[in-house]
Amino acid sequence: MKAFLKEVLAGLAVDYADIRVEESETTRIVYRGRELEDIGTSFERGGCLRVFYQGNWVIASFNTVDESLKELADELAIQAAELPPRDGGLIHLPPLDEIIRMPRHEDPRTVPLAEKQQLIHDYNRLLLEPKQIISTVSSYLDSHRTVYWYSSEDRYIEQEFVRTGFSCQAIARDGVNIQQYGESFGRAAGFESLRGKESMVERVARIAIDLLKAEPVSAGTYTVIIDPLLGGIFAHEAFGHLSEADHIAENERLKQLMRIGTRYGVEELTIVDDPTLPGENGSYRYDDEGVPAQRTELIKNGVIASHLHSRHTAYLMGEGATGNARAISYRFAPIVRMSNTYIVPQNRRFDEMLAEVKDGLYVVGSRGGMTELETFTFSSQYAYRIENGRLTKMVRDATLAGNVFETLRNIDAIGNDLMIHGGLGGCGKDGQSPLPVTTGAPHIRIRNVVIGGR
Amino acid sequence: MRLELLELAASRVEQADVYESEVDLTEVVFRQGKFFAQETKLTHGLGLRVIKNGRVGFAASTNPQRLEEQVRAAIDAAAFGQTARFDLPGPAEPPAVQTFDNRTLLVNIQKMREWGGDLIEALNSRMPELKVDLNFSRCYREIGVANTRGVDLSFERVELELSVAGLLVQDGIFWVYDYVNLSGGQGFPLEQVAERVVNLARLGKQKATLKSGDYPVVVMPFALPQLLLPLLIAVNGKNRQKGTSPLINRENQPVLSPKITLADNRLRPFGTASEPFDGEGLPAVRNVLFERGIFKGFVYDLATAAACGTNSTGSAVRSYSSLPVPGLSNIEIEPGTAELEEVIKDIPAGILVYGFLGGGMSNLLAGEVALNVSCGYKIEKGNITGRLKDVSVAGNVYDLFQRVEAVGAAQRDLGDYYLPFIKFSSFRVACRE
Repeated sequence: MKAFLKEVLAGLAVDYADIRVEESETTRIVYRGRELEDIGTSFERGGCLRVFYQGNWVIASFNTVDESLKELADELAIQAAELPPRDGGLIHLPPLDEIIRMPRHEDPRTVPLAEKQQLIHDYNRLLLEPKQIISTVSSYLDSHRTVYWYSSEDRYIEQEFVRTGFSCQAIARDGVNIQQYGESFGRAAGFESLRGKESMVERVARIAIDLLKAEPVSAGTYTVIIDPLLGGIFAHEAFGHLSEADHIAENERLKQLMRIGTRYGVEELTIVDDPTLPGENGSYRYDDEGVPAQRTELIKNGVIASHLHSRHTAYLMGEGATGNARAISYRFAPIVRMSNTYIVPQNRRFDEMLAEVKDGLYVVGSRGGMTELETFTFSSQYAYRIENGRLTKMVRDATLAGNVFETLRNIDAIGNDLMIHGGLGGCGKDGQSPLPVTTGAPHIRIRNVVIGGR
Repeated sequence: MRLELLELAASRVEQADVYESEVDLTEVVFRQGKFFAQETKLTHGLGLRVIKNGRVGFAASTNPQRLEEQVRAAIDAAAFGQTARFDLPGPAEPPAVQTFDNRTLLVNIQKMREWGGDLIEALNSRMPELKVDLNFSRCYREIGVANTRGVDLSFERVELELSVAGLLVQDGIFWVYDYVNLSGGQGFPLEQVAERVVNLARLGKQKATLKSGDYPVVVMPFALPQLLLPLLIAVNGKNRQKGTSPLINRENQPVLSPKITLADNRLRPFGTASEPFDGEGLPAVRNVLFERGIFKGFVYDLATAAACGTNSTGSAVRSYSSLPVPGLSNIEIEPGTAELEEVIKDIPAGILVYGFLGGGMSNLLAGEVALNVSCGYKIEKGNITGRLKDVSVAGNVYDLFQRVEAVGAAQRDLGDYYLPFIKFSSFRVACRE
């Protein structure tokens, strides 16, 4: 493949060019209630070609991978030459030739479809067992992807990715009261990672049923302990996206807010993005611009330490490339994205943190949310009242709202129990969704959080 | 390629069909009044549906070297698939539909850049403080459907569209929008677009305030699709099959105001969703969904129709990567007799809406809408007195569309919508402050 890609880019009169060809095989299975709603496999092959000349990118994606790509490359170079030049450049890298294979797991391509279907069928049946559960959605996904990448710097990288995941959602009903709860699981691993998920399935059904008896939370300002799942989502959604340099470069307000060296949190607060973690959904060795993956501290000891970059934004802002340019597939050009983003654990135990709260809330999971610059709203999956240092009754419909930076300053305890979570879905940005990522955090206690509710 | 794939499958299954799509999409983007980027997407994919032992299987591919594996994957999937209660259709002559004009295909990337530059210049000379984003998109498609009962159809479509968003920063921010469907090869109506955009921006220079309450609201064609969304979900046969449509058992009954006739028209010349046949190869038709307010019936594909004990309405929507589902094409509301100036003149206090934001987050199946007015003006004693900010409207469309007071005499071409303005006699409006 290297010789072929090299030939496509040969002799282009541009400042930089790269080509990425991808081959993939994906299987999905979806149960809704008792019915198998969808089962099928797709085989994709395609690529994306980019040329950069005098500050402009010209980009094309394609399915046909043959000699005709040479013409396409020439056409893009001509288009680029016609554009008015503008400021900007790229970080350049030395030649390379590297092939990266996944560690050998149970390759999902070799597992018969009947075995995959049986596994999901059994999980779905278990989920439907309690009589209060009226419907479910159980989804299975596996994918095997090989990405071949070559740039005009004579840099060649071949990377293999295997991902498997499972999600289940239960809908419980008692008269007109309908509640739902779901969990999702995904890893850069083989089929083996999906076995033994019975306890996850049973928990999903139990919590959906428990929610039938939970009362809506009373609105107000609380001391809140957030669980690792919601803490991770907060780190990614509310803070991580603000660290992405393509947004910062375009937005004066954000430039001010995200200036390196600005203090936003307590000394104990460190948030990192790390694609080099083994086996996680957001892990890779090189990004989709051939830049080596690296651990980047977004906040270190409470102070803004770095931004996330593509080759282009790193050049524009005069900072180093961080290897965060990613594309969801060959149909798209890479843009600045996160990978595995988490809050670094400290030394507090959950039971200790709990014991110190007289009156508060323990908030678990995330149903999604909205952020607009520094303002955020998240809704949780469920919550418990904390009274005199103990968890008491379950409550529902708790939404957290506030200013990101104020909230970071109000963190007063960071736990020792980091949990990194990868799901079946992923992150969405600029029409590219879902991109595999993980989010993580230990338990975290925050003062003065505004909780919406009734 | 589709016949090759079909032949590989045909002898091993009872029935099969193949959906093939080849797409060449080019986009030219201007941001804040400057050229920003251009991009091309070339896609070619094949979706194979098989019926084996009475069950449906499916597999998709963009890799022509793996046709044999695709056939095997579809057959494997059929072992667990839904029971097929339908037969694929035999050959039938599709109607002639205008979907392709060679002049549109000739509008290349250079031409789009030139038009964009000209429009920005025209806007700059009229209103330099208005910063515009433009998005030109030209999409050439060749769509083919073939099946084991002898159907082999294909057609070409070229869509050429321009979206405009103008930002006015003056005492807060204000967005104005425009859209032009250029698919018919009619040339670029530069002056017309520039005038429309500048007019909206000028009207917005003045700020107006409003107290929360019930007001008459005029919804312009560009904003109307957000209000139609719950109705378009409710008419989908899939929601009848699942028992989740509020229109179940309401066929041939009045549901909307008698002023509203709403149709799904696959035959409209140069509509961006026009096609001579649907995703399963059935001849395309114009389906009237509401006739003078009376609900005429759901839209179906083959499988959903069979599950509901009825016939397909030729409404299968499909891409190469998934099984067909019932869906809509170009949505039309028949024009009334009202003129906008006259309607505004008669409103003592109300709102004129050009853009909504935030559709899709409410309980759409129940007909609930809750929308922010992103581009809207206050009407006071028959005059437009300024732009509104932080205003939202909420209601239920089944209630709202009973309160249609006037329907515009002219329709706007919005690509896959062809709509007049509508005046609602009363709408719940919430305002901050």
